[in-house]
Amino acid sequence: MSPVRFLTQEIGSLGKPSWRVKTFAGRPLEDSDVEAARSWGSRLGVEDHEELVELLSSGQVGEGDLPDIDDWAARYAIRLLEQVGLDVVYDGEQKRTEMYDHVAAFAGGFEPRGIVRSFDNKYYAKAAVVESPSVSGPQDVEEYEFVRSHTNRVVKVPLTGAYTMEDWSYDEHYGHEGGLGASAEHRYEARRRFVHDVAANVIRPNVEGLVAAGAEWIQIDEPAATTKPDEVPLVVQGFNEATRGVAAKKSMHICFSDYGALWPAVLELDDCLELQLEFANRDSRELGTRDEDRPGYADTLALFKEHGYPNVGLGVLDIHSDFVEPAELVRDRILYAVDVLGDPARIQVNPDCGLRTRSWEVVYEKLSNMVEGTRLAEDAL
Amino acid sequence: MELRAFAPGIYPRSEALVQATRDLDRGRTTAQAVEGQAASDVRDLVSVQKKAGLALLSDGMLEWQDVFRPLADRSEGLDARPLTRFLDTNTFYRAVLVEGEPSLREPIPAPGLPAGRWLRTLPSPLAFSRATNGAASPEALAANVLAAQVEADLEAGCALVVLYEPFLASEDVAELAAAISKLPDGPYALQLPFLGAAPLLEPLAELPVDAIGVDFYRTSLDAVPKGYPKEIMAGVVDARSSALEDPDKLARFVQELAERVAGGVSVTPNGDLQFVSEPIARQKVANLGRVQATMEEAVA
Repeated sequence: MSPVRFLTQEIGSLGKPSWRVKTFAGRPLEDSDVEAARSWGSRLGVEDHEELVELLSSGQVGEGDLPDIDDWAARYAIRLLEQVGLDVVYDGEQKRTEMYDHVAAFAGGFEPRGIVRSFDNKYYAKAAVVESPSVSGPQDVEEYEFVRSHTNRVVKVPLTGAYTMEDWSYDEHYGHEGGLGASAEHRYEARRRFVHDVAANVIRPNVEGLVAAGAEWIQIDEPAATTKPDEVPLVVQGFNEATRGVAAKKSMHICFSDYGALWPAVLELDDCLELQLEFANRDSRELGTRDEDRPGYADTLALFKEHGYPNVGLGVLDIHSDFVEPAELVRDRILYAVDVLGDPARIQVNPDCGLRTRSWEVVYEKLSNMVEGTRLAEDAL
Repeated sequence: MELRAFAPGIYPRSEALVQATRDLDRGRTTAQAVEGQAASDVRDLVSVQKKAGLALLSDGMLEWQDVFRPLADRSEGLDARPLTRFLDTNTFYRAVLVEGEPSLREPIPAPGLPAGRWLRTLPSPLAFSRATNGAASPEALAANVLAAQVEADLEAGCALVVLYEPFLASEDVAELAAAISKLPDGPYALQLPFLGAAPLLEPLAELPVDAIGVDFYRTSLDAVPKGYPKEIMAGVVDARSSALEDPDKLARFVQELAERVAGGVSVTPNGDLQFVSEPIARQKVANLGRVQATMEEAVA
């Protein structure tokens, strides 16, 4: 057995099963939905899944059943992540709407302002901050405790970061007045205060509650981190404010961004285990471990090498494609990273981002190959 | 003073149209149904603009997935593919891959709007080139793709072509000017959506366009040189804010601007209204009209 062992982890969201989507939307279930619950339940070994199949088959799913449906979706997702062989799991965020709305709908100080295009025909709900955000208590403790009680694997809790909440919101409170013709300093200060308040008054209470409940690993998601490169220090301030002093592993996930903008600011992250980044999206699908074989990895890994901090969560699966990365491709991506960094201990393995846009069939194949490819890399080392 | 208000760029789809496109992607409705909803959205938008009294009308580009896509789709040698973040927003466009000599096969049809009263928004040749990561030059894209589109639009009664330019740096101005010289005679406006225009205004004074669109949420009034010779298309309605501006405050700002420049002023959003939801965009269009009306009343 190889002495090298890479931890394999998921990043966050999985797609929701059709029976979960339809029951919450109040739409009628079809036979294929029930069959999906049956076949996946059987394939994943979900305990007592026949109860779910029976409920769905009855045609009598009411509003009172929705919490149970949510629990079932989480159980299925946990089992999927376990069965493909991941070391670190969560519930695929089955109980959350999506990463932004999950927080904005819970915290005080935000009001919905409709939907805005992300790309093509994909839209997201956007809210405005109308007063200083706050929460009455931690948001995700119950969700964490459910996951903890349904798996023996390492559990990592993904939380949307303060900077992303700020960047994806309209501002009708901090910087609105005096916006026309305002200086860049005025805008920056308004955004700094917004990030601080979300970190201190929304994210931190959740982190403290989770850690008190036993959470051992908090992942702060900041996909907006480099949207405005000069504001990367605000991302760092938000992370530190939200997690300072808590007794848990802490890491940050960033994707589809200009990673060159992260350093040197990220050197100021307090006790951040790693940055889990998207790489595969920008890489070749050909095998090989030379620089020219791995165009999606070379530049960013050079930054990790140069600065020595933090470690890297290596994205090896393109989450926007049904292309199933062969295990050998995953292996080569890892081996290349080891070669660049010169230290396998600085690397853990993950998909580029949450796999919510892929079908479970594709997710299963991709993640299985990710784990297999990781084992191949360990053997090669 | 005489002042024109209008709303170039991509307008947000209604929730009904968004749902229709989602349903189409999931095989739950037909392309015909989506087209029907889109036509209904356009009618509503035109009605909103007319009611607001806007001087120029837009069809809202509701079927455009991004500002480059329809031209890429209708051109030989261009293919819109990798998702790319648009400036510092959470909205993405598809960068354009170049696979041969770009050439427009067939222009985008003119919208069914009254001749002499509608505007067209197109990517500036430089922005288009940036969307190809420089694989096609601004001049080639101007000559072989944009020129044919502009010609068709002008023949169909287009009153103003707004060239959408979010990537401009001052050292690019000469290259942009050379590319624009490959286009048919205008009128043109160059809009700088969501850009700080302070370092650009001086170099753009000689550009062969009739107006420069400035985002005044990124540019201070002082940055506009006194006696500026070109019309300033004043981006005073913030397309990235859900807050509704006070039309009286905007009118005072525009008055101050008008006193500063020699080439005249028009009033627009500072970029595409698609960065707010449709109900908010509708109110912002109405506010544009109020600013225009306030300025007209001041003259009367």
